[in-house]
Amino acid sequence: MRTKILLVALAACLVLAGCRSRKKVQVQATEEEAPTLASTVHTADPRVAAQLLSGFYGIEDNAWRWSAGKFTVLLRPPRMSAQKGAILALKFALPEPIIGPLKSVSLSATVNGTALPAETFNKAGEYTYQRDVPPNLMAGEAVKVEFALDKALPPSSSDQRELGLVVSVVGFEPK
Amino acid sequence: MTPRERLLRAGFWTVPPLAAVWFHWLALKTWFLGDDFAWLIHSTEFYNFHEFLVAVFKPMAQGTIRPWSDRIFFIVFYRIFGLDPLPFHIWAMLTQCANILLLLAIVRRLTGSRLAAWMAALIWTVNTSQPIALAWTSAYNEPLCALFILGAFHFLLRYLETGQRRYWIWQWVIYLLGFGALELNVIYPALASAYTLLCARKYFVRTLPLFAPAVLYTIVHSVVAPTTGGAYVMHFGAPMLKTFYAYWSRTLAAGFLASMIRLPGWQVTGAIALMTLGLMGGVLCRAWKGDRLPLFGLLWFLFLIAPVLPLTGHVVEYYPFLGSLGLAIAAGWLLALARRQPLGWRLAAAIVALVYIGYSVDTSRRSAQWEYRRSQRVRRLIQGVQRAHELHPGKIILIDNVDEELFWTGFIDHPFKLLDVDYLYLTPGSDRLIIPHPELGDVNEFIIPQGVAWKALMKEKAVVYRVEPERLRNITNIYANAAPPQWENAKPSRLDLSNPAEDYLLGPEWHEIEVNHRWMPRRATLEMAAPRRAGASLHLVGGAGKSATQVVVTIGGIRLPERKVTSDKEFDLTWPLPDAVVGKAAAELTIETDGTFTVPLDGRPLGLVFGVIEIIER
Repeated sequence: MRTKILLVALAACLVLAGCRSRKKVQVQATEEEAPTLASTVHTADPRVAAQLLSGFYGIEDNAWRWSAGKFTVLLRPPRMSAQKGAILALKFALPEPIIGPLKSVSLSATVNGTALPAETFNKAGEYTYQRDVPPNLMAGEAVKVEFALDKALPPSSSDQRELGLVVSVVGFEPK
Repeated sequence: MTPRERLLRAGFWTVPPLAAVWFHWLALKTWFLGDDFAWLIHSTEFYNFHEFLVAVFKPMAQGTIRPWSDRIFFIVFYRIFGLDPLPFHIWAMLTQCANILLLLAIVRRLTGSRLAAWMAALIWTVNTSQPIALAWTSAYNEPLCALFILGAFHFLLRYLETGQRRYWIWQWVIYLLGFGALELNVIYPALASAYTLLCARKYFVRTLPLFAPAVLYTIVHSVVAPTTGGAYVMHFGAPMLKTFYAYWSRTLAAGFLASMIRLPGWQVTGAIALMTLGLMGGVLCRAWKGDRLPLFGLLWFLFLIAPVLPLTGHVVEYYPFLGSLGLAIAAGWLLALARRQPLGWRLAAAIVALVYIGYSVDTSRRSAQWEYRRSQRVRRLIQGVQRAHELHPGKIILIDNVDEELFWTGFIDHPFKLLDVDYLYLTPGSDRLIIPHPELGDVNEFIIPQGVAWKALMKEKAVVYRVEPERLRNITNIYANAAPPQWENAKPSRLDLSNPAEDYLLGPEWHEIEVNHRWMPRRATLEMAAPRRAGASLHLVGGAGKSATQVVVTIGGIRLPERKVTSDKEFDLTWPLPDAVVGKAAAELTIETDGTFTVPLDGRPLGLVFGVIEIIER
């Protein structure tokens, strides 16, 4: 009888051992730095929503937001950008329902009030608007970047919003 | 049986194990450290029954095959309880309680004295070999081997007592199973023979067949699992005497304590001499009177310590764990006998016992606290890294301020694999805090190169945590702001091709990372640091694809001699580097092979596969 019990116990152990191991790792709190602004903002990330200062609508498909004709973000300059400058990058899509009626749109940006060259788009598709930003504009803890389209789709009966671009990511890349 | 007798009987069996649990309580709270992580990771590395068998029986860790104590123990407990050491320790403690019960039964049977059995259990419980053997999960092989040896010996005694064949068979079964716990099980036949020779001579010949499996095991083991070297290289001759004294003085505690705190030399020597004299005097005196049990206890110690004496470079705290059982048997019996002697002898015996217990208790306490403290540092590191990984998913984690102790107990066995943290490194310059032990591993494998750290920090792909006494502290911004600008252009001399932070050093030909390696097509390029001195060599470790038979490397425009490789096999190639590449700003490498193959549905041309490429400077 005792032998049988032992064999059953052994078999139970081996069966349990054969199961997928449970991941059971305790964590210990770490001492974190004070929260800082992100230098790159994924518009669908609710944790950085406060950095989308104006001109953005709600998150859609957990991936992007519609912008209005003018929209503004607050970004942290990347490390060393005060010495080397940085690259401003806006990843967006220009869907057919926008470019169709508008024919073309011109996108421009200003960084801390200094204008960067505009770019014109006249076909539907996915784009990245990239501009060099000189070091002198990257001082301080935060940089305000304002984007403007020369044209946007005005509110209509089907959508009460003014629609500009489908924006997924905006941020500075280090040089 | 009167109530008093019943109480005494219950106390006889319950007090010693409970006292042991109380005395070694800290062992239950000790966390994983060192080799534990290698065994825990090993527990995750099989996916079918065949791989399970390989995981359980394949020789590992300096050529050991210990299926019960190292393999199945870790596999079962890790798969059930995860990274929680308490169930492991409870199991080890239960094993130890069983050992103590067996020791009580054996000594009572050998001597007929409950006092002798109690004294033996007390002497063994406080022995300085116990704290680490019970607190360090990887040392579970010691208590488990003790269980097999004591179990087999118990059944031998039962057989000698009753003549019943079933006890003889049980002895054999337990003895044979003991080979799965620890290699020292081969000593059991010597113990059985020595006992019968000294105390039950007519059974001596009957024990000789026990040597056959031990001899066979030794031969097979030396063929299939030879010692791999390093600290486990054996040295025979005079140095073994020094090792013997080290173990003897540690078993008697005073020598061990002297390695922890400053003690006057005369005190240590005097205490060891006193205990040795007391024990040897007792052994000789009893042998003169025809009682050879204390002599058997002494031989038990000698037999079980002898196999580790040639490991002169590897004196380990818990190695006398099994041998000290013999001394406990001898001393327990001598102390019980002393009770019937005149006052002077009783006093002398009491003084020797008190000296042993005093030194042992103090040393064992310190040893347990040392192990506990080290393990808690590892726990804070591992659990802090887990939190950092949760807070910063996908980022490289750099750990700063890791000292010697923490590195060799909490890094070297890659514990972070258990957390699925793939990219964790020490900050550049960490090697300054860590004394190298090449026999244990290479610190440099864990240190992120300066240039890679710079890129990762500036692109905000890395976070930096500093090890502080209570917890990890995120110092990413401070660290990144203080990073020396010259790091920006520093190239690494060691390239980990599975680290995405090092992508910028690779040409566009390389395929995507796959776990810990990366394939290249027929030709690929990369950049790394040029050697600073003449005499450097290039070291390539990788595997050849199914159609690759050669490796051609060009460095700085100089073509190195072509090397043949075997298709579908791993290779480890080294080239001496030409002096012309020394001192250059960077070394540009081109690696070429002669053939590629393509996996259906994958489509990529696969030539060679690499993990690490490095330039080694002498």
